[in-house]
Amino acid sequence: MLKAENLCAGYGGNDAIREISIEVVEGSCVALVGANGAGKSTLVKSLCGLLAPRKGKVFFDKIEITGLPASEIARRGLCLCPEGRRVFAPLTVEENLLLGAYPRLPSFVPFRKAASGELKCIYDMFPKLEERRSQQAGSLSGGEQQMLAIGRVLMARPSLIILDEPSMGLAPVVVKEVFKAILSLRNSGITILLSEQFARSALAISDNAYIIERGKVVLDGSSTDLAKNPAVIEAYLG
Amino acid sequence: MNADFLALAQMAVGGGLMGMAYALMAYGFQLTYTAGKSVNFGQGELVMLGAFIGLSLTGIGLPYWAAVPGAMVAGAALGWFVERAAVRLALQQRNEGWILLTIIVGLFGVSAAENIWGRDDKPFPVPWPEGALEFFGISVTWPELVIAAGALGMMALVELAKRYTMLGIAVQAVSADPDSAELCGIRSKSAISLSWAVSGAAAAFAGTIIAPVTTVGPTMAAALTLKAFSVAVVAGLDSGFGLVLAGIALGSAENLSGFLLGSGWREAPGLILLILALALRPQGIFGKKIIRKV
Repeated sequence: MLKAENLCAGYGGNDAIREISIEVVEGSCVALVGANGAGKSTLVKSLCGLLAPRKGKVFFDKIEITGLPASEIARRGLCLCPEGRRVFAPLTVEENLLLGAYPRLPSFVPFRKAASGELKCIYDMFPKLEERRSQQAGSLSGGEQQMLAIGRVLMARPSLIILDEPSMGLAPVVVKEVFKAILSLRNSGITILLSEQFARSALAISDNAYIIERGKVVLDGSSTDLAKNPAVIEAYLG
Repeated sequence: MNADFLALAQMAVGGGLMGMAYALMAYGFQLTYTAGKSVNFGQGELVMLGAFIGLSLTGIGLPYWAAVPGAMVAGAALGWFVERAAVRLALQQRNEGWILLTIIVGLFGVSAAENIWGRDDKPFPVPWPEGALEFFGISVTWPELVIAAGALGMMALVELAKRYTMLGIAVQAVSADPDSAELCGIRSKSAISLSWAVSGAAAAFAGTIIAPVTTVGPTMAAALTLKAFSVAVVAGLDSGFGLVLAGIALGSAENLSGFLLGSGWREAPGLILLILALALRPQGIFGKKIIRKV
């Protein structure tokens, strides 16, 4: 469903990722595991159009999307839930959610009515968000903002979600909650690409994984095999 | 003594009403600045062109109420053009040449106006009743009332659209976080272009409501840009209410200094306000980038 071939990308002079090829099969959950600064975020940014790759190609649903603007890629159903959550802080929780569905909603009114069904689904999944629907998103706690970011991406009705470091900066108990939400997404059949520092949780939740070090894929395979691999245990699970 | 006081109050009120038009022009700065971190230093030229286009439309027989939206459409097209043709290119190169480019496009506008409509100031006829209304001994003319009501109404209308339409919320999202907005499928460049178009329409609208009082001429442009910029800098670019207050203050101060010190001093308060604001709290108000280059 999503395929990257020999991607090179980066900021400034050096490539932060070099010749990376990955594939995400429809209905699966794939993890990108690696330390901070290994190039995971650069990779997902170049997959979804926030960063133009210097070399290589990206295919989504068998169509090449390399170099398209992020808004066009999002409209095709490949949606990124960005690192650091990046909610629209001055806007309300509900406005943030509505923006997730922006391409589908009427430009003027009655946009709230048009999205009421989806809003209800998200609120059922994350009741906290409904309680805080008219609060500014910036006033939410980190965990709530992460739920909002996931809710916003779901509003787009994506066929593939990329989650970039969803546990970053969150308290352990909140991280658990976030992974519970990801697991339920996974069980509902949405295709997921998960970029995550916490190797143990990422391998536990995914079907396949790529281990990324210094901008390159060093290992890949099924997540259960990787979790047993001595090199992986030594570097990431020890 | 009482008569003197009344005369001063008359000056202050007249200036304050005019000042709401300055607030509207400054609001145009605010619109493009929040969306794309750039402003049109040819805003006064758009005001002037809007007034001239409105004048020509009434000249070919359109009633005033139809000429105003006509001028606004032209203003929107011009604002959109400045962004697409000049600002976006410079910003793509990550330099600040856009400031100079907007000034240059503005100068083009002045030359074009001189060629099309001539150098002289022209009266702008309006269908409002002659004479003035009196409030507590202070007389207010109909065109002045239209300026105040029109400027406040236009700002209120755009603000409502920003808050209560999906398009407006999307533009706010682009101001808050352009990358995140793109990830939601919002074409952030189009949102910025839209802000420039609305800003241009607001400028043209301002031209058609002030022209009946000020007359129309190519020379009005530069002074208006400076006034709008002063108001925007003094008020800061995120406070609509602040813009109105600063606009009223500037309009009144202009009239009073013109009256008390002589007509040559009319422009002084705007300049002094601008210098003070830039010297005392530059970053807090407008961000370093623009200050450095102006």
